[in-house]
Amino acid sequence: MVKAVETRDLVKRYEDVEAIKGITLEIEEGGIFGFLGPNGAGKSTTIKVLTTLLRKTSGSVTIEGYDIDKDAREIRKVIGVQSQETILDGDLTGRENLTLQGHLQRLHGNALKKRVDELLTLVELSDVADKRAAHYSGGMKKRLDLASTLVHKPRVLFLDEPTSGLDPQSRVAIWEHLETLNRDEGVTIFLTTQQMEEADRLCHRLSIIDHGEIVVSGSPVELKHQLGGDTITLSLANGDSDGAKDRSKRIVSGVQGVTKVLDIETGLAAYAKNASALVPDIVRLFDENGIRLTSISVASASLDDVFLQHTGRRIRSEELSKVDTWKRHV
Amino acid sequence: MDHDFLFDVWHLFVRALKKTIRTPIVIISALALPVLFLVLFTQIFTQFGNLPGFPAGGYVQFAVAGVIVMNPLMDSGGAGEAVVDDINSGFLSKVLVTPANRTAIVLGRLLHDMVMVLLPVSITLALAYALGATVITGAPGILLILFTAAFFGLAMSGLAMAIGVRTKSSQAVAGLDLVIAFPLMFVSTALVPYGFLPHWAQAFSNVNPFSYVVNAVRVLMSTGFVWSTILAAYAVIAVFAAVTIGATLYQFRSVER
Repeated sequence: MVKAVETRDLVKRYEDVEAIKGITLEIEEGGIFGFLGPNGAGKSTTIKVLTTLLRKTSGSVTIEGYDIDKDAREIRKVIGVQSQETILDGDLTGRENLTLQGHLQRLHGNALKKRVDELLTLVELSDVADKRAAHYSGGMKKRLDLASTLVHKPRVLFLDEPTSGLDPQSRVAIWEHLETLNRDEGVTIFLTTQQMEEADRLCHRLSIIDHGEIVVSGSPVELKHQLGGDTITLSLANGDSDGAKDRSKRIVSGVQGVTKVLDIETGLAAYAKNASALVPDIVRLFDENGIRLTSISVASASLDDVFLQHTGRRIRSEELSKVDTWKRHV
Repeated sequence: MDHDFLFDVWHLFVRALKKTIRTPIVIISALALPVLFLVLFTQIFTQFGNLPGFPAGGYVQFAVAGVIVMNPLMDSGGAGEAVVDDINSGFLSKVLVTPANRTAIVLGRLLHDMVMVLLPVSITLALAYALGATVITGAPGILLILFTAAFFGLAMSGLAMAIGVRTKSSQAVAGLDLVIAFPLMFVSTALVPYGFLPHWAQAFSNVNPFSYVVNAVRVLMSTGFVWSTILAAYAVIAVFAAVTIGATLYQFRSVER
């Protein structure tokens, strides 16, 4: 069976920076695949290369069996692409935006008219279809942008952070549209995201990408399962003074049931199957050793924990910068 | 010609046209310019027409050709600014991930410029007629004048587009456009007969595409169908257009920031 996306040792180098350092991917048709990673990990660059916008430096890419070096035009007929920024012609109406995209995909006449109406209904913009897109709200623009990538019924849809900057309600609306598309029309979806929640909810399979490399791949459930259960997060009252962190680490590692302990900015993260049951023990041990805790909390393992385990950092951009500062101090 | 290709050109042309019509201030300023030029130049320089050695027919009859050809030159910036907007908004990328023909993307916009420049050129001709100028070659000559101006518009707007794709900056397009337009306009036969130009200016005018186009329009206005002059202009425009459009297409490779 033909793969929706296949890359081998894909490299993209800008003058002195290697943005993608040898990515190998095989994405089956019909699934939702996610690229999860922080800003600057190489997600957008990968999408731009896969969608024929940027030339790769080396390696191979095929989309739906078409080789990107030989059949870029064929690829453009079977893909839909939504970039990170919402791209519309604000001077044109919603309907005109969709119709123009249809024309550029060589659709015309009644078939195109019908398709445009259908999409306007799908993204709930029928009643504003003849207003200029410049007057739409952020959520409406994003929906129109998504619709404009669907006019020609693409087989593979590339979405670069499809819900970034949206309010929670619009975000859920987009997720529902994507799930419907995937389920009812069998569209393969390749998306990038920085949001755990999005990756968790939508993706059948995902790869975590950091510094231009794939760190780990699997289904969200598999990846979280590998961590061995829940997360216990401990915050140390006095930070790392007197080697408190190392001592704490030894204490927590010694607790029966704990599978892994990781450094985080404010303290430690530990993984264990029946985490809540271990909390009293841990608290007692810290008391006995005279290390003060400001908080201890238990949560089920998230994709963020998966990212942390493989990269030593949290993925959330605001925390990322703090971690970097902390690392420099050490 | 390829059906898909024409289809792409047409729809991108229509898009450009809609954008312009919905921002009418662009059209209004394009129309004001030739009126201003024609009235100012013919008022200020009108005594030139009486100098010995000046072509018969007076200054208005002489200068109309220059003002007509100034329109495609002065209005060309729009194409450059439009492509800069499309690059910065990402719209060009959105078009580039469709199967749309690359050359058609450029020609769609340039066709818009060719059509739009006919408005101020027609106004110039009408006003010139009111001021006493005539077109000796009649209706066919007028059609050919319109075509010549539009064809020159293709080359000049192509130049602005090439600058736009290269610099990705509207200010650069506007600035460079002026820097290029003024010497082309003034060191040419647009406002002064060739024999009145100093030697260095004559040398420049000999290689100035603007002079070739002005001369073609001028013979159509005052002399007749002098095909050697007209075809020389077309040859110059064709080369100019091919280079600028080619440069734009070449640079599409580096559109991504």
